[in-house]
Amino acid sequence: MMKKAIALMMTTAMLMSMTAGIVSADRREDPAAQTAAAGESSKQRLDPYAGDEIKIAYIAHDIGTPNNQGWKEGIERECGSWSNIKVDSYGAEEKAENQVQIMTDCINQGYNAIILQCSDGTALAPSVRQAEEAGIPVITVNLDCSSDTIHSALVMAVDYDAGRMAAEKMAEQLGEEGDIAIIQGVPGLTRTDNLEQGFRDTIANYPNINIVDAQSASFQKDTAMTVMNSFLQSYENLKGVFAINDAMAEGAALAAESANKKGEICIWGADGEKDALAMIESGDMAGTIYTNSWDEGSTAAKIALLMIGSEYSYTCLTETPKVIMEPIVVTAENVGDIAEEDRW
Amino acid sequence: MKEFNWSKYSKPLILVAFVVILSILRPKAFLSLNNFSNVLWSVSVIGIMVCGTIFVFLIGGIDLSIATLCAFTAVVVVEITHLLGDTPVAVCVGVVAALAVGALAGAVHGLIITTFHIPAFLVTFATQSIFLGLAMVLTNNKIVSCTVPAFTAIGAMKILGFPLPVYFMLVMAVISWFILRKTVYGRYVYAVGGNSMASAISGIHVKGVSIGCYVLSGLTTALGGIVLASMTQQASSSTGSGYTNDVITAGVIGGVSLLGGEGTVPGAIFGAVLMGLLNNGLNLMSVPSTHAGLVKGLVIIVAVAFDAMQHADQSKKKARKVKKRGESV
Repeated sequence: MMKKAIALMMTTAMLMSMTAGIVSADRREDPAAQTAAAGESSKQRLDPYAGDEIKIAYIAHDIGTPNNQGWKEGIERECGSWSNIKVDSYGAEEKAENQVQIMTDCINQGYNAIILQCSDGTALAPSVRQAEEAGIPVITVNLDCSSDTIHSALVMAVDYDAGRMAAEKMAEQLGEEGDIAIIQGVPGLTRTDNLEQGFRDTIANYPNINIVDAQSASFQKDTAMTVMNSFLQSYENLKGVFAINDAMAEGAALAAESANKKGEICIWGADGEKDALAMIESGDMAGTIYTNSWDEGSTAAKIALLMIGSEYSYTCLTETPKVIMEPIVVTAENVGDIAEEDRW
Repeated sequence: MKEFNWSKYSKPLILVAFVVILSILRPKAFLSLNNFSNVLWSVSVIGIMVCGTIFVFLIGGIDLSIATLCAFTAVVVVEITHLLGDTPVAVCVGVVAALAVGALAGAVHGLIITTFHIPAFLVTFATQSIFLGLAMVLTNNKIVSCTVPAFTAIGAMKILGFPLPVYFMLVMAVISWFILRKTVYGRYVYAVGGNSMASAISGIHVKGVSIGCYVLSGLTTALGGIVLASMTQQASSSTGSGYTNDVITAGVIGGVSLLGGEGTVPGAIFGAVLMGLLNNGLNLMSVPSTHAGLVKGLVIIVAVAFDAMQHADQSKKKARKVKKRGESV
């Protein structure tokens, strides 16, 4: 039920934001500019639901992560009911240059839409522009290309607000006092930087909670274990840890367990992958911010099919429409509400 | 009076210097058994791997497939454990299978390299993709969790305050040291690395020695993969990513020559522990990640330069002695 409500909300938000973009484009005062802009795209309208052959490419930053697998499965589920729609997935091995190469290949192969998780917003911007100019709608997932590159849509989990929500709940669990630390990802990624900023800004409202340290574990579970060991060594009174993603939070929880401090430290993650939910159930972790990655992938695919089937192209937009996924704050109290079929 | 041989002790001295500096800077956090246990634990996987990979380095070879073979073997042990019903016996079968896969991979490397005379760099570069692909296929490119107590104990169980992986590292180091220093095979390894042509002429079965080195490397990589999977309670195609660089770096810092014929197991372990101490020190001193790389690079250069300087001095002294002896004759 909740899933359907979220999906409905997202679709509405998507249509509203797209309409907003289209409406504002229609209000442009210079018709010549409009015609010139419209001429930049060679988009052909196809009907995915009437048997037209459709090829969609999904290009991930690192296809092996649970998030990427969730999106991939969501895309495949959305398109799986139609035999005429084919989805091909590509992994870029965490390299922006690989993504640029794959983008070029996909444009040359005439894919009808591309769903892309940008490794590097600036590096990928020309490829996104090139694809849109070739009439291939590009829908970015979570990590967007640079903001001045208008493209068909961005589907994203909340970032700043996820940090805020985690901070508020964690502060409540800690009784609004104590020393806490942050385990960072790779600095420079918009989503994770915003997440951390949201967390820091909110914690600043609690004068008795001190962020005593912040170290990077590069999104890796084993590195997070080492970082957590150092935290435990340095700060005897450490009460909480906020990790920017769930894998690192899981690593921190394992390190705490190894130091016989299971459940004593309030460990939070973000993403909501199934292993983290299991750790919340077992008391190893205190909470996470859950986003349904399957729905996120499925939403991206819905927009891709919508763009393929419509006569509109990116030229009608004044800004990239954003669809923001509903986040859920998960703690031991409500983790049971997330059904098995919604755990990715 | 016999002159004190500084070069022999330069590596332990560097470690002592590190310990002293960090003890002064963060006495409370650094100087504890628990912290030393953490440092050794954090380098145990690299330490285990370098104990086997050193054989490959010593014959002048290289293994670029360490990280992906680690992932593949980690996936093998986890998948087999699940397949056989998550029992302790299943864990044992999984561990044996993963070790066998590692040894087999090493044997294949050795056979291809020695039979077709293809550079080790190219062969292992190609096989790294194959192992990655196999890990992806086996897991359907997903993370596979494994929380079977018998399995997680490998990475988490503690004996006398130290986790099991630390003992694995020490045992592997002793075995490797013994093979290299106390057996004929070990002398052959150094001989082949020093001059394979001369070794062949003097009757050493170069092909057999080389294949043996790759098998040992595969075995320790597999053991590293098993331990890493147990520590993190999961396996995926990205398990151990970055470990190839770490293992090679540990060896090189420890004085192992990538050209072959030169290097010791204690040296390689020194390299791994130095890296662990450095990471630990940076974390304990709360050095932000933006500065950590810079500091790490500088410290490694200073430490390695100090070590190299001591060895250069020793070599000069030796050369002078030889020259004197020559003149007196």
